[in-house]
Amino acid sequence: MSTTTTRGVAQTAAAETSKSRPRRGLRSNATLNFWLFTGPFLIGLVIFVFVPIGWSIWLSFFDARYTVTPSHFIGLDNYKQILTNSNFPDSLLTFTVFAVFIVPTTWALSLGLALLVNQLRFMRAFFRSVFFLPTAVSYVAAALIWKMSIFSGVRFGLMNTVLGWFGVDNIAYLANPSPPWYWLVIVSLRLWIQAGFYMILFLAALQNIPAELYEAAEIDGAKRGWQTFRYITLPQLRATSTAVVLLLLVAAYQAFDEFFNIISTKATWAQTPLMELYKAALGTNQDYGAGSAGAVILSLLICIVTLAQGRIMGFGRGEESK
Amino acid sequence: MTSTAPQLGKNRRKKRGSVLGNTGLYLAVGIAALLFLLPFYLIVRNALSTDQEITGENWKLLPSFQWGNISELFDDQTVQFGRSLWNSTVVAVLMTVGTLLVCSLAGYGLARIPYKHSNKVFYLVLATLMVPTAVTFVPSFVLVSSLGWVDTYRGLIIPGLFSGFTCFLFRQYFLGFPKELEEAARVDGLGYWGAYWRIVVPNSLNFFAAIATITFISGWNAFLWPLVIGQDPNSWTVQIALSSFMTNQTVNFHLIFMATAVSILPLVFVFLFLQRWLVQGIAQTGIKG
Amino acid sequence: MSAMSNSNLSRRSIFRAAAGMAAAGTLAACGGNNGRGGSGGSGKQLVQYFHAYGEAGTEQAIKRYAKAYTKANVTTNWITGNNFEAKLFSSLLTKQAPDVFEFHPQLQLVKSGQVADLSDIIDPVKDDFNPADIKSHTVDGKIYGIRMIDDPQFFYYRKSMLEKAKVEVPTTLDELLEAAAKLTTSKVKGAFLGNDFTPVQNPIIWSAGADTIDANNQIAYHTDGVVEGLKKLRQLFTSGHVLLDAPTDFWDPSSLNQGLCAIQWGGMWSMPAMQQALGDDLGIFPFPSVGSAGKQSVYNGGWSMFVNAKGDNVEAAKAYVKWLWIDQKKYQEDWATSYGFHIPPRTSIAAGATKLKSGLPAEGVKLFTDYGHFDNIAYDQTMQTAFADVIANSVRKNGNPEAALDACDKKVNVELKKLFG
Repeated sequence: MSTTTTRGVAQTAAAETSKSRPRRGLRSNATLNFWLFTGPFLIGLVIFVFVPIGWSIWLSFFDARYTVTPSHFIGLDNYKQILTNSNFPDSLLTFTVFAVFIVPTTWALSLGLALLVNQLRFMRAFFRSVFFLPTAVSYVAAALIWKMSIFSGVRFGLMNTVLGWFGVDNIAYLANPSPPWYWLVIVSLRLWIQAGFYMILFLAALQNIPAELYEAAEIDGAKRGWQTFRYITLPQLRATSTAVVLLLLVAAYQAFDEFFNIISTKATWAQTPLMELYKAALGTNQDYGAGSAGAVILSLLICIVTLAQGRIMGFGRGEESK
Repeated sequence: MTSTAPQLGKNRRKKRGSVLGNTGLYLAVGIAALLFLLPFYLIVRNALSTDQEITGENWKLLPSFQWGNISELFDDQTVQFGRSLWNSTVVAVLMTVGTLLVCSLAGYGLARIPYKHSNKVFYLVLATLMVPTAVTFVPSFVLVSSLGWVDTYRGLIIPGLFSGFTCFLFRQYFLGFPKELEEAARVDGLGYWGAYWRIVVPNSLNFFAAIATITFISGWNAFLWPLVIGQDPNSWTVQIALSSFMTNQTVNFHLIFMATAVSILPLVFVFLFLQRWLVQGIAQTGIKG
Repeated sequence: MSAMSNSNLSRRSIFRAAAGMAAAGTLAACGGNNGRGGSGGSGKQLVQYFHAYGEAGTEQAIKRYAKAYTKANVTTNWITGNNFEAKLFSSLLTKQAPDVFEFHPQLQLVKSGQVADLSDIIDPVKDDFNPADIKSHTVDGKIYGIRMIDDPQFFYYRKSMLEKAKVEVPTTLDELLEAAAKLTTSKVKGAFLGNDFTPVQNPIIWSAGADTIDANNQIAYHTDGVVEGLKKLRQLFTSGHVLLDAPTDFWDPSSLNQGLCAIQWGGMWSMPAMQQALGDDLGIFPFPSVGSAGKQSVYNGGWSMFVNAKGDNVEAAKAYVKWLWIDQKKYQEDWATSYGFHIPPRTSIAAGATKLKSGLPAEGVKLFTDYGHFDNIAYDQTMQTAFADVIANSVRKNGNPEAALDACDKKVNVELKKLFG
C-alpha cells in the first residue's frame, strides 16, 4: 500500500496524468484492501458455514444413517420420506400458528413498552433496564423457571398456587394439550425474553421522530394520544416495524430451545421444524439424510419468506444509492 | 413558537393533564415492571430456600435465606460449577473480541471499499442468514472434531466467530457512517487501514459496545454447540452445567435455582454496566431501516 | 470474573481484564486440552461413555473400576440425562468417538457396522447369562453387546394410602382407574404414569396380550386389545386422578416420596431411595392386564456395554469390556446392588446378591421373572418414537386410537422394510 502511494506522489508532475494515475493506483489498492478487510471473515465463513451447508445438501441425496460419509446415493428418497412419512410438514404448520401468536404480540408489547417508557420523566433508565434485563437470560434458564416454578402442574407451582386461592383445581399446563395451555407457557416465556430488546429498537426510533411533527399536528387540532399515535407515530415507525417483524419471523422459524426444554420431543403438538430435524438426525433416529433434506427445505422456505419481505421493505439494499 | 402566550398555555395544559396522566402512566409501567421482575424474584427465592420450602404446601413469600446453598453449589463434585463459569467467561469474552474484529472489518470492507464484485460477496453473506445454524449442525461438528478441536476453547469459540448477521449489522452501520470524516483522514495520508483504526473505530464505540453485548449474551447463553463440543466436564460451559443439574436423575431444587441465579448474575452486571452505550448503540444498528 | 467482583468498576479495568483473559485464553487453547490426554502410564488410551445415573456414588464407582484396569488408561465421560443420545451419536461420527459405550440393543447399530461383534468374549460364559438378555443382543447368531444390568419397571404404591382408601392392589386396568379415583384427595393424586405417559407405552401393548413386533418382524401391536387399552389410558389421563406436570419424571422417586401421588410407575433402581424415605409403607405391582386376553406385564429395560467397531482400539476396548463385565464379578455385583437396585443378568451373580434375596427387592425380582418382557433388538428407536406419537395423539390428545395406530403402522412398515427388505 505504501509503495503505491509513494509512486503516486512521485509521478504527480503533469496535472493531466496525475488525475488518472493515482486513481488507478487507488482502485487496485481498493481491491487489495477489500480482500484484506473481508478476507479473514470470508475464509471463516467458507470453512465453518459454506462447507457444512454444502455437506448437508450432499447428505440429503444419500442413505446416511449412523454415518455422515455415506456411499449409497438414493436421489430424492429422503425428500419424499420427510415430506410424506414424517411429522415435518405438521411442524411447519405449528410454526405458522406460533408465528401468528408471537409476532403480533411481541410487536405490540414491545411497542407498548417503548411508548410508555418514552413518556417517563423520572426513573426512565430504571424501567428501561427492568424491561431489557430478561434479554440476558438464556432460554435454558427461562425454560427451567417456567416449567418448574411458574407453570408446574403440582400444588407448589406459582400459577396453581394463585388459582388455588380462588378454589381452582391444579391445571396441568404442559401434559394436557386440550385446552392448549402450553401456548400460554411458550408465548409468555418468549415475550418475557424478547420484548425488551425490540422495545429498545422502538425506543430509538421514537426518539428519532422530529418533535415538529407533533407540534404541527397539535396546531392542526389533532388530539394528543390516539390521533397523533395513529397518524404520526405509527407511520414514522413503519421502517422499524417491518424490520422487527422480519426479525421476529426468522426467530420464530428457528425456535428450538424453549420448545425442546418445555414441550419435549415426546409430544405430537408444538413441535417446531428444528425439533423435527433434531429428532430425525440428532435425537434417536440418526438419519442424517432425511434430517438434511428437511434442513434444505426449511432453508429454502426461510429464503423465500425473507426475499418476499425484503422486496417489500428493501432490506439490505438501497442504501448504496445514498 | 410564534409568540410566548400560546406556548405558556400549552405548557400549563400539559401540566394539568400530567398529574392524572402521570399516575396512570407510572401505575401501568409499575405493573408491567413487576411482571417482568417476577421470574427473577422466583429464582432468588428458590435459590435461597430449602427443598422442603419450595415443594411445601403453603407458598412462602420470603425464603429462609439459605446462604449455604452457594457453597453447596460450588462444592458439588459431579458438576464443577466454578470451572464452568470460568469457561463461559473465557468463551464469551474471546468470542466477543473475535467477532467484533472479524465482522467489523468485513462489514467495513463491504460498506466502504469500492470493489466491483462487492455486491456479489455481500449476497453470499446474506445467503447464510437464511440457513439456521442448527441445520448445518452435524456436518459442522464433524468438521470441527476432525480438526481435533473437541474439548478445546478453539472448538467452542472459532466456529462461532463468523456470523453473517453481525457482519450484516456492521455493514449497515458503516453505510451510515459520515463519509466526510474518513475523507479527511484520507487526505491526511491514511490508507483504508489507518482511517479505519484511527477514525472509524474510535467514533463508533457505542455501536461496538452494542454488538459486543449482544455477542457476549449469545456466547454466554449458547447451548447446543457447547453441549457436543464439551465432552469432558472440564470444558463445560455454564449452560451445560445448568442443564446437567436439570436432567440429573436426582432433582435438587435449591441447587438448580442457585445455579440459575449464579449463571444469570454476570450478565446482569454486564448489562447494567454497558446499558448506556448499549441503548445508544442499538439505536444505530441500522435495523431502524 | 475477577474484574466483575472488583469494587472499582471502571471501564479501563474491564478492558484490561478482557485483554488479560484473551492472552490467558489463547494460551489455554494452545495447550490443547482435549480431555483424553493425561499421563498415559500404560500405553493404550480408552474412552467410555455413560449416561448419568442418578444414584449417589455411581459415577465414582465406574471411575473406580476403570482405574483398577491396568492394561489401558480408561477415561470416563459421564453424560447427563436428556443429552446422552445427542452427545453419544454425534461423537460416534468423529475421531474422538468413545471406544466403549453403554446403550440399549438396536438393530440399526449392528447393521450400520457401528458396534463390534463380541461373541468370542461372551460365548465361554454364555450359559451364565439370562437367555433373554443374550437373545436381545443377538443378530444372525452373533452377540453384539454385554448386558450390565436389568432394570424392571413396575408400579410402586403407598400401602398406608391404599388401606386408608380401602383399595385393593389393582390387577386390571379398570381396577387401576377405580383405585386412582378413590385415592385422589385435594392434596394427593391417585397415580403417576410419568408426565407424558410414554413410560408405559410398551407395557400397555404387552398387558393387552399383544407384542411390539413378532418373531417374523411383522407388526403385532395393532390389536383390539391395545385399542381398548389406549382408550382406558385416555380415560385415566382425563380423569383428574393422575399426577401431571410433576417437576420430576417417572425415573425419579420424588413424586411418591413427597406425597404427590399414591401410586407411581418407576424403575427398580428407585427402590433404595423410596425405602429410605417411606420405610415399609411401600409395595409394588406389575402393569395391570387389559381386557379378557390380557396379562399383567413388567418392562425389563436395562443398559448394555457396546464396543465401537469404527474406533481405533477395538481389540483393546474388547479386552477392557471382557475384563470388567465378564471377569470382574465383584464389580458387577457392586454395580448392580450397591447404589440403585438392578438385577444382575448373570445367574451366578444374581444367586449371590443377598440384597435382592428378601423383602421388597425379592418381590421385584419375582415380578421381573414372572411378568417381564425384554427389549426386542429389531423394535428400534424409530418405531418406538412412532408409537410414542400414538400415546401423544390418542391418550394425551383426544385422537382416535385406530387412526393413530394406522399412522404408526405406516412409519413402522417403512422402517421394517429398510431393515429387512
